[in-house]
Amino acid sequence: MAGEGDSEPRKSFKLLGFLDVNSVPCSRESVLYGSVGSLVVGLGHFLATSRVRRSCDFAVGGFICTMLGYWFYCRYNLAQQRIRQRMLKEGMRNKLLFEGSSLDPERKQTGNEGSNS
Amino acid sequence: MANHSQFGFQDASSPIMEELVEFHDHALMVALAICSLVLYLLALMLMEKLSSNTVDAQEVELIWTILPAIVLILLALPSLQILYMMDEIDEPDLTLKAIGHQWYWSYEYTDFKDLSFDSYMIPTTELPLGHFRLLEVDHRVVVPMESPIRIIVTASDVLHSWAVPTLGVKTDAIPGRLNQTSFITTRPGIFYGQCSEICGANHSYMPIVVESTPLTHFENWSSLLSS
Repeated sequence: MAGEGDSEPRKSFKLLGFLDVNSVPCSRESVLYGSVGSLVVGLGHFLATSRVRRSCDFAVGGFICTMLGYWFYCRYNLAQQRIRQRMLKEGMRNKLLFEGSSLDPERKQTGNEGSNS
Repeated sequence: MANHSQFGFQDASSPIMEELVEFHDHALMVALAICSLVLYLLALMLMEKLSSNTVDAQEVELIWTILPAIVLILLALPSLQILYMMDEIDEPDLTLKAIGHQWYWSYEYTDFKDLSFDSYMIPTTELPLGHFRLLEVDHRVVVPMESPIRIIVTASDVLHSWAVPTLGVKTDAIPGRLNQTSFITTRPGIFYGQCSEICGANHSYMPIVVESTPLTHFENWSSLLSS
């Protein structure tokens, strides 16, 4: 029966009212890693220097840098994955279309190997 | 089509729209970073005493010149890339014309057969059960899927605009001018749009419906319509 085992659709959670972290790929991880980075940097600076105000500045800077850094890294990987998916889809379609025909690249390869031997 | 109270984009059905959605996500993330910084600075300013003994601020002036420049570059580069991508028209498989009238669209497929038809909205009183109010038309624009389609948009009377959000297409229909755009539908389906330039009393009642089908179905449809 359709619906069995399906998880409920995730509710949208908009950060600052505009960024829906549940529906935008990489956004949830970016914000989470940014928060962790912010804590680590801020806390680390405070433990090292005992300066509250400057540690807060570092915490905010750490949040922004970590969030944006992970965002670019994740989106780059996502773009590469999408390109690979498209190439795979194209390859599968071409295989179905040309299998057994004169345009079949596998047949051309085995034909070359036979002529070379 | 959009659901009620939908705030974001519709799911992309063309490669250009996929790129636009990705760029939008990228821009929102940059906006989130900037808003976080501004909120923090605002909170900081509100908690501090006012002071006017700053006479030299070389470092901070350097930072708030270079940082916005970097942000602008981060936004401008993908934006320009997509802008030029949208202008590419790579040997379309099919060219069709969309002509805006008050208050309906007419389409002409003149590549291989002289095929033309008008596309009127189906009134609510005549709408079959389960169909979409103010969006359905009597004759849909049928296009083959995964093929580059060129569409030439013009108008016969006043300004209109041919827009289909899920394909990332919006082209003004101007009387006496031919505007060209192209798209590729990545999947079969029915895609809805509406006139996007105010054109009179029934501006909201001249929708656009694009039906993307496999090539064989498209050929059958064009044969049926032209016979």
